[in-house]
Amino acid sequence: MRVNDALLGVVLLLLASAMIWLTAYFPSFPGQDYGPALFPRLLGAGLILCALLLIRRGYAARRQGEAWVTLAPWWSRPGLVVSFLAMPMAVLAYLFFAETLGFIPLAFVLLLALFLWFGERPLRALPVAAVATLLINWFFSDMMRVPLPRGLLTGIL
Amino acid sequence: MDAVLTAFGLVFDPSVMLVILGAAVFGMFVGAMPGLTATMATALLVPVTFFMDPVPSLGAIVTATAMAIFAGDIPAAMLRMPGTPASAAYADESFLMTKKGELDLNLGVNVVFSALGGIVGVVFLVLCAPALAELALNFSSFEYFWLACLGLTCAVFIGTGNPVKGFVSLLIGLSVGCIGIDPAAGVPRFTFDNVDLMSGVNFIAVMIGAFAVSELLRGGVALHQEGHVIVPQVGNVFRGVGGVLRRYWVNFVRGSLLGTLIGALPGAGADIAAWVSYAVSKRFSRTPEKFGTGHLEGIVEATSSNNSAVAGAWIPALVFGIPGDSITAIVIGVLYMKGMNPGPTVFTENPQFIYAVFITFILANLIMVPLGWAAIKSMKQVLRIPRALLLPLILLFCIVGAFAMTNSGYGIVLMLIFGVLGWFMEENGIPVAPMILGLVLGEMLEQNFMTSMIKSDGAWLPFFERPIAGTLGVMTILVWLLMMARGARAALQRPAASGGGLAGPTQESSGASSPP
Repeated sequence: MRVNDALLGVVLLLLASAMIWLTAYFPSFPGQDYGPALFPRLLGAGLILCALLLIRRGYAARRQGEAWVTLAPWWSRPGLVVSFLAMPMAVLAYLFFAETLGFIPLAFVLLLALFLWFGERPLRALPVAAVATLLINWFFSDMMRVPLPRGLLTGIL
Repeated sequence: MDAVLTAFGLVFDPSVMLVILGAAVFGMFVGAMPGLTATMATALLVPVTFFMDPVPSLGAIVTATAMAIFAGDIPAAMLRMPGTPASAAYADESFLMTKKGELDLNLGVNVVFSALGGIVGVVFLVLCAPALAELALNFSSFEYFWLACLGLTCAVFIGTGNPVKGFVSLLIGLSVGCIGIDPAAGVPRFTFDNVDLMSGVNFIAVMIGAFAVSELLRGGVALHQEGHVIVPQVGNVFRGVGGVLRRYWVNFVRGSLLGTLIGALPGAGADIAAWVSYAVSKRFSRTPEKFGTGHLEGIVEATSSNNSAVAGAWIPALVFGIPGDSITAIVIGVLYMKGMNPGPTVFTENPQFIYAVFITFILANLIMVPLGWAAIKSMKQVLRIPRALLLPLILLFCIVGAFAMTNSGYGIVLMLIFGVLGWFMEENGIPVAPMILGLVLGEMLEQNFMTSMIKSDGAWLPFFERPIAGTLGVMTILVWLLMMARGARAALQRPAASGGGLAGPTQESSGASSPP
């Protein structure tokens, strides 16, 4: 997904302005002109400068016929778009359901779903998903004492 | 001398050796797998090494990266698919050799010269780092401020063909680094009263996102477009390598030296070292017409160069806390987590750890030869591992790893945000490495800047009054002026034409998974 530089520039301009505006609320120390706001303001100014250069350049490219947004060819194929979104979706699903379902059931389901979507045979996907989930759980939860959520399995494990 | 002996004891502990061996195999695998990069290997290793002692965790990172940079050569030679971006420079040349029936010699040269180049890099690391550390002991906040500025400028200057986009990336990284408690006054900034944001942005989680998740996003789409690959048969790879060393020793020496230097420059790592060395080799060759027909000369120089860069990058990282490439950017994070803040004081307070890093580096380059041979022989099996299984497994590993960094969903959120952002930036020709460098160096830069400002009571002159600070300051400003002059000239000449292409070879991300 290629976005015209001018659009990037506008977004950066807005973000940098917001950043500088927020620094106005930082506390200042009497008799000292350089407090916690100084560094972010300098960065914001730099970003605004870059944004203006990008806008100028993007505008010139636009006049030469560049589209505002250019999508890679695979965006027109729904299957590939789902493949692209599958991984971030899986991460979101983990964020939303990890506490209630717990690591083991959720990781197993997510792995299995991704394996199958990417075209793996169920006969191979099932055992790999199960073993990988248990291995990662063993390594991080038991060996490294990372508090992976237990969810449904609270009290059983 | 005591410290050296202690270091030997630390490294040659059986459990540490086991970790190093495991990391070596892991590095070989990641490097040999097209589409998985050495930086990704490091980012994935951090959650695993998080709970280890400093020596095994640093040893694991050192070994895995050295192996990965070599292993990237194997699929480049066999299939014309560089395993890591560092092998991209000579993938075509290697594959042409294979077509001429010289695969064995090619692989032998790759493994032997990778190891030799790596050792040259280590020698310079061992010689230069302590000497520089001694010098750096006299540095004050002014010197560090300019050093950080120069390092970051360097990262933008070398790392991209498009300085404006490089600066955008850098400034985003520095701005994100401002989130949290400000280092000088202790005031919370941009936290919106959120407890997670108060602790700042965990940059290991960010790197797992920017270097691993973004790669997975690309890989997910590429999965359906891959055909089957045929791995050619390999014979005795070491036959004739000695002759190559006698014939092309100049290339080897020049490649290793240049690689170390480029590695030590902030922002440029093994991939850029390989491109530059390949070009230098062609420029000074007596037979430049043979380049591009399956000629060994450039391969010798570039494969020595990219491995020496791995060690070179550690010089500024250990001495000044300024990473030489994106791998050492992660290493600096690990050093902070282990309580050994990088800088000249590590050399006096914890010299045994520094020596342990040196020893591991030498060890890694020595075991590279037998392990590399094994990797070459088992390449068929490695490539048979279905990517439909591999990519989701890496994703789950990323999720758990990012979670372990904060013990909360916050790490995963950061990983996701920066994964998508990293993907988007690469798509638009904005390099990711300067952002990571900015995030890592932001706090140090601001702290030294504010300390200097307070010391000088707001005046700018003291920034140039000390001799080293003055030299560094003038150098930095000269580089800035040079960049501005270039930018202005380009803008005057052809304002429209600069919108598109970016210098392809310098991107860290790999289009490596898709053969051209």
